[in-house]
Formats: sequence, C-alpha cells, structure tokens
Amino acid sequence: MTGAAGPLPDAWLLDITESSDGRSVVLWTKERTTGRVRRTAVEYRPPFYVAGSRRDLTDLLPRLAGRPTVERVRPVVLRPSVFDHRPRTVLEVVPVRNAQRRALARTVDTLGGFVRFTLFDVDLGPPQLYYLAHGLYPFAPVVGRGARLTATEPAETVDYTFPPLVTARLEVTLTGPHHGRLPPNEGTVAAVRLGDVTLEGPEEDLLRALVGELARADPDVLLTRGGDARDVPWLYRRAAALGLGPDAFALGREPVGFRPARAARSFATYGRILYRAATYPVPGRFHLDRENSFLFDDADLAGLVDAARLSRLSLSTVARQSPGTCFTAMEMAEALRRGFHVPWKKNRPESFRRADRLVAADRGGVIFVPPVGVFGPVDEFDFASLFPHIMVRKNLSAETLECRCCPTSPIRAPGLGYRSCTRTVGLIPRTLEPLLARRLAYKAAVKDPHLPAEERARLVGRVKMLKWILVTAFGYQGYRNARFGRIECHEAINAYARELLADLVPAAERAGYRVVHGIVDSLWLAPTDPTHPPDPEGFARSVSARTGLPLGYEGRYRWIVFLPAVTHGLGVPNRYYGVYESGEFKLRGIGGRRHDTTGLVRRFEGEMLNLFGPAGGPDAFRALLPVALRRADDFAAQVRAGTWPVDELVITHRLGQASDAFVTFTDSVAALRQLEREGVRREAGQTVRYVILDRTSRSYRDRVRPEELLDGHEGYDPDAYLELLARDAETLLGPFGIVRDDLLARWGYGGPVARGPYRSPEQVVQSALDGAAASGGTF
Amino acid sequence: MGRTVPTYRQALEERLKRWDEFARLLTTPEERAAFETLRLGARRYVAQATYVGSPDLLESILLSVLLDLARRLPADGTAPAPRR
Repeated sequence: MTGAAGPLPDAWLLDITESSDGRSVVLWTKERTTGRVRRTAVEYRPPFYVAGSRRDLTDLLPRLAGRPTVERVRPVVLRPSVFDHRPRTVLEVVPVRNAQRRALARTVDTLGGFVRFTLFDVDLGPPQLYYLAHGLYPFAPVVGRGARLTATEPAETVDYTFPPLVTARLEVTLTGPHHGRLPPNEGTVAAVRLGDVTLEGPEEDLLRALVGELARADPDVLLTRGGDARDVPWLYRRAAALGLGPDAFALGREPVGFRPARAARSFATYGRILYRAATYPVPGRFHLDRENSFLFDDADLAGLVDAARLSRLSLSTVARQSPGTCFTAMEMAEALRRGFHVPWKKNRPESFRRADRLVAADRGGVIFVPPVGVFGPVDEFDFASLFPHIMVRKNLSAETLECRCCPTSPIRAPGLGYRSCTRTVGLIPRTLEPLLARRLAYKAAVKDPHLPAEERARLVGRVKMLKWILVTAFGYQGYRNARFGRIECHEAINAYARELLADLVPAAERAGYRVVHGIVDSLWLAPTDPTHPPDPEGFARSVSARTGLPLGYEGRYRWIVFLPAVTHGLGVPNRYYGVYESGEFKLRGIGGRRHDTTGLVRRFEGEMLNLFGPAGGPDAFRALLPVALRRADDFAAQVRAGTWPVDELVITHRLGQASDAFVTFTDSVAALRQLEREGVRREAGQTVRYVILDRTSRSYRDRVRPEELLDGHEGYDPDAYLELLARDAETLLGPFGIVRDDLLARWGYGGPVARGPYRSPEQVVQSALDGAAASGGTF
Repeated sequence: MGRTVPTYRQALEERLKRWDEFARLLTTPEERAAFETLRLGARRYVAQATYVGSPDLLESILLSVLLDLARRLPADGTAPAPRR
C-alpha cells in the first residue's frame, strides 16, 4: 500500500486557514522537490443561502441589500435540502467579511421570527467550503499554483502516499520557585526543546533563538504533551512580558495575536465531564497536543491525516474534536458534493406518535443478563461495524426513511414498519459505504507479513480512526441536534439489530451451541458437547452469508468469568474477564480497565490474571482459588505493614464540578485545596491525583497529599488501601464466595472511617494562636 | 432513548422500588427470601421483555417472574415437594 499512480504532484496542500483580512483564505502548500512551504492568499467569500416562502424572500431581499455588512444578495434556483424533490428559489447572501457570516445569519433568522427562514451553509468554515468548491482536501497532492490548484487523486483514494510531514517535539521548561513537581506559576522560560535541539540562555535571546530554530528546522507539526494548557501559553505569556510582539515571536508560519482561538471549556459527554484546554492558532503549522486530543492518542498522526482528508477539516481541528464532528463534516462534504446544502439548524422536529408506538419504537439492542460464574470453553463472535452495515444495507437515512416515492417498499424495519427508499441511496449510506470499504481494505492490508513496520503503524492508526467514526455515525442518528440525524433512523437500526440477534439464537443452537451471553452485536456461545465443538469459522461464515452482515469469530475462551452486580447478584452484561486459547486476556469493567485504578490494584489484578491465565478450563480455575486467596493475603500484609511504595497508591479522580462547587469535604477537596495554595486550579473534567495519608483527618493537609507534592516518604493510611484491595478481590472472585467484609476481617482492618469533630480552618488557626496544640491537624 | 420513554430496565427498577414497600410488612425470613426470588426473577429476563416492547409493564414483569418460577418446577410437570 505505498505509492500512488497518476502524475507526480508539484506539491501537497497542507492546510487552508482563514485570512485576517476577512476576504480571503490562505493556502499552505509544501513543494515536493524543495520541501519549502508556500503561502498563497486567495480571495474567497463563500455565500450562505436563505430558503423561505416566495413572499418572505421578496420582503427580505431589499432589507438585506441595504445593510453595510452585506456584499451581495440575489435570488438563485437550487435544491437546498436533501428533502427537496425540486429546485426552488432561495437567496444567496455574501457577507462583506467572512467573520460576519454567523452574525448576519442570526439577523436573517431574527427577521424571520426564527420560523420563516431556513438557512444553509452558515456554519461551515470558509476553508471547508473552499476545499469542497474546488475539489480539494487537506494533504491533497496537487499540481498548479495559487488559486489554480488541482488534486491529482480524489480524497477517497485508499492507497495514497503519506504527505512528507516534518514533525518536531516542543517542550518548554520553566524556572522559578518550585513546589514539588508543580511548574512554577511566575516562572520564566529556562529551556526550550525543539526536535533534537535544546535551547538555553537568557530568556529574550532564548525566545528569539526559538524563532530562528523554527525557521531553520521548519517543522510542519509541533508535537507536545500538554502544549495547549502549558507550553504554548507559557511561551506567549513570556514573549508578551518581554515586549516581543507577534511580528517578533511567532510559532506558526505567519504572525498571529497571542490570543486563544478557542477558550477552555468543561463539557458533559456520555455521562462524563470532560475538560478541554484553550487552543492557540499556529497558522501554517499544526500543533498537536497529545493531552488535549482524544483521537491522537488512539489513532496517531496517520489516522488523523486520513480523517482530515475525508472530512475536509484542518488537522488541528480533527485532533481536538470528537469523531462525531469528523463524521458530521463527512456527511456535509457528501451533501455538498451531491449539490445539496447543509442546514444551519435542524428544523425537523420529531413527529407526534401514539404513546404505545413510542414505547415500541424507542428501544435499544438486545442485552442479555449473563449467568454469573466461570464458563468454558466459550466461543465469541462479533459483528464488525454492525450498525453502519445495517444503515448501508437497509438504506437508512433521514431522507430515505418513509419516503413518498416508495409506499410499497419491501425494506421495512421489523416490528416498526418504517419503510426505506428503494430508488435513491441516502446520504448516510453514501457517506458510510466508502468508510466501511476503506476500513476493510486497511484491515486486510495490515495482515500482509511483508509490510514495513512504519506502514503497518499507519494502517493501524487509520483502522482505529475509522472505527471511532463509524461508532459515532450511529449515535448521531439519535442526537437531537445532529444535522442529518433522525430519531426514526436510530430506532430502525435498533429494530434490525434486535431481529438479527433473535434470529441467531436458534441458528446457534442448530449449529451445536447454546447461548451464554449476548450484547447487541456480540455473542458468547458454549458448545453443547465440549468434546466435539462446532467449527466456529464455519458458523460465522454461514451467518454472514445468510444475513449479508459480517459476523467475525473473535476466538475461543479457555475460561471466562461473568461478574455479578453488587446490588442484586445477577450478572452484569459488560463486566467479565477471560482468557482466549491464544493466552490473550479480555477484561471488561474490572479495576485494571478503569482510569482511576491505583497501581496497587492494577498489580493485584495482574497477579491474579497471571495465576489463573494458564488454567485450562473452569475446573482448573476453581482449583486455584486457595492459592489466589493466599496471594491476596500477602498483598494485604505488605499494605498493612506500611511498606507499599506510595507512587503505586495514587488515586485518580476526575472532577465532576468546579473545585469551588464542592459542598462536602472529600479526599479530592483536600487535594484541591493543597493545589490551590500552590496556585494551581483545576476545572470540572480535569483530574486530581492524590495519596490518602489519614482518612480520619479533618485537616486538608493531613488527609491526603496531591501527587505533585509527594516526596516519596509519606506514610499512607493502610486501612484505606486494604478497602480498595478487598473491593477488587471481591470484584474478581465474588462469584466464588469471596466477600469483602470477610477479607477485611481476616486482614485485621481497623474499621470504617470515624472522624473527629469538624473544625473550620478559622478554629484551627485560633487554637494555634492560643498556643494550644492542635490535635486534628496543623497549618 | 431512556429519556422521553424510560427503558424497560428503568421502568422495572422503578416498579421494584414500589414492591419494596410491600416487602416491608413481611414478617418471616421465609417470606422475605421468597420475595427476593420474585425480584430476581423479574430482573433475569430484561432482554426478553425489552425485545417484546409491550406497553404493559406488568405483563412483562409477571411473565418474567412466572417463567423464573416455572423453570424451578420438576420437568414432568408434577408439583414441587413442599419446603421444610
């Protein structure tokens, strides 16, 4: 998968950015032969469109034409929406400056009382629209110059040459009064590492030398760990303090103000609170912050480049946004390519339905309650990208569901009856199909044993990136603000998936299996006769052929343990651990998989898995239980002795609210207050890491110690960690009668928390002033 | 999903909370244990009840509980021996 056919490109189009004059975009191209990066500004002010009744549009036109922010407004005839069957007259509005697009659109929306007008193409950025209007995309190999660039291959090309990007690590070290491992608040820049070069010296010379080194090495990509939150703002703050302006100090390839392009924010997603640091523009280059990028960590640069190509979003945007944003942008690109436009706000409310219809429709996939205990052998099967495949096969898209053209369509959602169009392929299937094909092609290519390691890593990154995008494609059908989403699609997909799994139960039994467990698109099957197990590959093939959906055989477990809920003791669908015949483990919902697990618990789980891993089946597993208990006792003895290394006792807690919103005095609050005294503030969605020193203490200083302030010689609270250990042992071994309280009693645990009476900081200070020895803790 | 209309799992848990009130006035350990069996039976078949999607919550719960009891009966259909 290297080397593309076709003419050799003159250059690579790296990025398109908005120009500060508001009338043009800047094209950044990297010449193939010299590697030089060229900046070309091209005048470009894309229009947005206003649809409405003929009368309302006639009224609107003169009112817009007289506005100082409007460059041009005129009626044009086109099919704005995927729901339009015929072209109609709409208004094309071009603002004087690109930055005024949204404000002007809001004005139009207000003039129409928020109901009379539907607006299109408002919130696509000018760079995105430029790509789409000119058949270009990020990292396109191009011929020609300036405004006359032509891509030598389409964006969807599977087998393309990776653009020759120069990457360099950027790392800034501050100097100043330190507290533990916290960076100094009022520090000055002591050293900057760029790639292999480390710059040191007087601060102003150093910053100027950095600009020189950036010009010399001329990296396209700056890689940092935490650069959005730390390195980049540090550099800008110190440059400003030394009186260096944007002309004297630029990290990008053109001067730009030292202001963030996007402010920091905390937000909720899938039941979690996340935090995203502010981002600073570095026009002409890309700054990728591993800590501020969900996708970069998983999909790597190759995956991000792939997503940028397909979504027409800048690499900097792709790195910082969710896969859902990428998928939406891909849908937008597909819509525009087919001559449609992108609605600004979704103006398609859910239709009214009878309550019993809603109850019947609004259901998820099949999720069994697994039996608790150890089982084996068990074969696991998964449908690959099941929901996207259903969307494609059943032509599920907002505009193809219950269409007017196919009243007798045979494609109907089971139990719900929603019809799919048989004449036109919908926007979503059109967007998804190439992504599915692409993922399969990359997955097949990875299997080539002669593949160079670098190329393999790229393909793996792309496969992961595509996986995330395909996962979100389904979720976005149900999200109320998703531009092309429609709740009935979401319901139909679930209905097809339920039907599929229900059909598989008898099919599995005919093949010689019984169903142990099933979740939406995965099945765990036990051979009815373990001495003559069925051929799993054959079963997967026959199901795939019959349903047209790819069922994959994941492997055979020697043993697998399904875990119970603490509350009622029945099995929890997604908490299990097991080992395949290959020796590989699969763990879901146990401590080691969680981000807040301590090193202690992770080590204990590692020990348990090493012990049970070689067991050939359920009987051998059970025979090892006494040994497991003795190992747990050894762990407990060392924890109790107080000799466990503190860095393995660090507890991570993700903050669900801002630090000043806490009303109870928790371990996290104690850690946050210590950090705040050192001038460090944490926002909702960020994490705080600490070791519990004395959980009975009412003093925030004695109760915990933040990781950043550890010196390694702290005495920790053994009971707090015995509790963690006992809880984890119960999680893993609960199905075999191991109970937390029994373990704690056996380990000589001191009992649950008993705290002394609360004393406010004022009281503590007062008693210290009075000369009385503070008993609860000292400041 | 699970917002406008509660999922079957959510509706079941809500109903079981009401059953707890019933259980508070049970007076023997045998009755309490038997009641616990009913609650487990109701929870055991959430996948099947969700699949039906019946607007009648109680139908799904009773069917689950009955099945859980029926599977404890001897296979030949005779009545189980009385406990103790």
